[in-house]
Amino acid sequence: MPVIARVHEANARLPLLKWAGALLVVALWAVLPALASRSVTDMLVFTALYSIAGLGVSFLLGQCGIVSLAQSVFYGVGAYSTAYCCVQLGWPSAAGLLVGIGISAVVAVAVGWPILRLSGYFLALATLALAIIGHVLFLEWDWLTGGTLGIGGIPPLSFMDYQLNSPQRFYYLVWPIAAALLWFHANLLRSRNGLAMRAMRDAPAAAAVLGVNIRILKVRMFVLSAVLGSLAGSLFAHYVSFVSVDSFGVDRAINFLLLAVLGGAKTIVGTVLGALFITIVPNALSRFGDIHAVLFAACLIAAVIFLPDGFGGAIARLTARMRAGDSRS
Amino acid sequence: MTGTLILQSALAGITNGFVYALIGLGLAVVFRGTRIINAMQGEFALIGGMVAYVLLNRFGLPLSLAFLCGALAGGALGWLIELTLVRPTRKRGASEEGYLLLTLGIAFAISAGVLYFFGRDARILPGIGGEGSQILFDAAIRTHAIWLIVISGAVMLALRFFYTGTLIGLSMMAASIDEDGAATTGINVPRMRSLTFLLGGSVGGLAGVLVSPLITIQYEMGLLLTLKGFAAAILGGLTNPFGAVIGGLTLGIVESLAVLTVSSGYKDVIAMTILIVIMIVLPDGILGRRLRRGG
Amino acid sequence: MPALLEVRRISRSFRGLQVLRGVSFSVEGGAIVGLIGPNGAGKSTLFNIVSGFLPPDDGDVIYAGADISRRSVPDRSYAGLVRTFQTPQVFRHLSVRENLMAGCYKQTRSGVLANLLGTPGSREESRRMRRSADAACEEFGLTAVRDRLAGELPAGQQRLVELARAAVGEPRLLCLDEPSSGLNTEEVVQLMNALQRLNAQGITILLVSHDMDLVTIAPVIHVLCFGEIIASGPLRAVQSDTRVREAYLGV
Repeated sequence: MPVIARVHEANARLPLLKWAGALLVVALWAVLPALASRSVTDMLVFTALYSIAGLGVSFLLGQCGIVSLAQSVFYGVGAYSTAYCCVQLGWPSAAGLLVGIGISAVVAVAVGWPILRLSGYFLALATLALAIIGHVLFLEWDWLTGGTLGIGGIPPLSFMDYQLNSPQRFYYLVWPIAAALLWFHANLLRSRNGLAMRAMRDAPAAAAVLGVNIRILKVRMFVLSAVLGSLAGSLFAHYVSFVSVDSFGVDRAINFLLLAVLGGAKTIVGTVLGALFITIVPNALSRFGDIHAVLFAACLIAAVIFLPDGFGGAIARLTARMRAGDSRS
Repeated sequence: MTGTLILQSALAGITNGFVYALIGLGLAVVFRGTRIINAMQGEFALIGGMVAYVLLNRFGLPLSLAFLCGALAGGALGWLIELTLVRPTRKRGASEEGYLLLTLGIAFAISAGVLYFFGRDARILPGIGGEGSQILFDAAIRTHAIWLIVISGAVMLALRFFYTGTLIGLSMMAASIDEDGAATTGINVPRMRSLTFLLGGSVGGLAGVLVSPLITIQYEMGLLLTLKGFAAAILGGLTNPFGAVIGGLTLGIVESLAVLTVSSGYKDVIAMTILIVIMIVLPDGILGRRLRRGG
Repeated sequence: MPALLEVRRISRSFRGLQVLRGVSFSVEGGAIVGLIGPNGAGKSTLFNIVSGFLPPDDGDVIYAGADISRRSVPDRSYAGLVRTFQTPQVFRHLSVRENLMAGCYKQTRSGVLANLLGTPGSREESRRMRRSADAACEEFGLTAVRDRLAGELPAGQQRLVELARAAVGEPRLLCLDEPSSGLNTEEVVQLMNALQRLNAQGITILLVSHDMDLVTIAPVIHVLCFGEIIASGPLRAVQSDTRVREAYLGV
């Protein structure tokens, strides 16, 4: 009797522990800018931005089984739309954001409809080809993007004269946005379309037999991913106030993919872990110069070999084992 | 637009086409032997070119020897990668995406490594026959380019013979088509896989040394070459060595002629669009047999 | 009862090999019909055509009075035509309950946006799907493994999951492709009971099988050989048909 009672107690404490843990994390998050240096806060802002863009790549990979290297294109579209609309046209920032999202969605449908019938490595390489096309167009269409010179002077986001022109202020905007988007995705996963996605990944023929229109669902998810990339890009543009073509090339696309693979595409928290990794590690390694790119790639390789489900997956396995261990004792 | 200009472009296209064909050939070799799409094939070319450059400039080796070593370096790299990275991935049961991510990661690592060790500057190698050119109907083609075409053609014929006429070649194909069956007939399947990467790497390295006198070699060239080679390989049907030639030539010529009408900055956009169109419209190549899943 | 499914003069060839030659048969509403034949007879091809995975070269597939020969697989599913596969195609990384919930997909309507926002409508649908899934688990004896990943179950249970998943979507015509392959005798009996129970609920069943025990639940059998129906009728009758004996035994 006493053994069983103790087990029940432990199990009852678990959700309480989870709540306490979550509260602690939120509290830490809230006070961090006050305690940490400007550069650390700046890094965490980028973590949030990359979480948003990376979420797009992550769920395409983890839930739909699609390797997408095209996120850099949508990131760029969002950034340049914001830059062009706000600087060249003088429109308000919301307009730039919406224009970016609109263009990304249209491009995602136009491009996604034909290429999403491909699968496996064909599709992955097609998205890589897209990333290259996007990068070249950003370079060549310098009347729109400023080419290598870029576009500068992008105004910071402001709410009624309160300007978000410092890392600390932007931090308190971008993280709630990221958190909200992550929560939306958790909703999606539990819903009928989320189930349909995962079914489609596991056994597409069986999913079709249950009424799932595979192609349309893939295109919808691709559009969703593009919208996320564009949103992140627009926020990025407002934050750094200067965008140039170097930020939107193939290495950016690979960065986002690394985020998804390393963080663990199957879990939501994995996306944030991946984003943390790709912001903190290059920063820490940049003192070693160009070699950080090699180490980075080494991480992707190691992740594919040893941690195919990424950090998030490893953590999920660990908690599952702990839970099983608890119930056994 | 004069006829000479068109001919000049076509010749350049043919030359490029053979390079793409060689890369595509390497891709086909690796695919044939392991069913893996090797996203780092272009990096073998990069390494081959770089090794040849170093041997030539820092160690003063004669040209042909430097070229040979470059090709072999590609092969050695391929063999090493298979042994140290592909095998453990296989053992842990990787999916198709897994291999793609692996080879992409390796491609990125090699490119970054070259950047680190050699910097961003482009290097150029002297060609066979130096800077000399031959004149063909008023259009000029470098002597080296002619050598490139000849050597590529020879390699393709050799490979075709290798796969159909030699025991090792047949064993390599058998090992990839039916692993267990091949093992029961005494074929050392793991060794065949290593050999496949050795061969694929050498072909890639050869492509690199052959192309390096014509275009400059620098750390970013690998990925684009891989994708163009992939286009060539698909057009040719992914496992047919001759097919890669047809595919490469088609891509090279179309690319060069298209650049006549639009600015040369769009060259890669055109090539990449062609790749996407090929994948959608002709996934089984011009010769059209369904040999792989994924389209 | 009128025919729910009518297959009319279906022909199909692959690279010059004529696999089906003008096959015609019909399935009455509420019936269980079996389709048997030696290997290479064309059963899978016929099945793929009926279920929408292959287009016919010639002929029509009439379902509930409408010509569905060119309709897509999801469309046929919405019309109530559902099939299973020779190797059980469960969603391996989803739990049994989630597999069955996926089966309720076509009975729900909420779009991606509603799902993202977690609207009350979307949540209610998820709850409904869960309830249906749990009820189906009860009916098929899967409650014990409800939370386990479908990919971890033995073949017999995967079969049941696949069947339950097809049934939970309230199909009208259930097409089963070799449903007993990989099952032991006890599991085959379980399967037969499940199928008869579904049929009693009004679901029409078309069954392709090698298993002579399983097809005993079908009062009507069609025998397919070299792309043609060579015999039709009750099992006893077709078993003693000389053409059938020739086809199977080379006698």
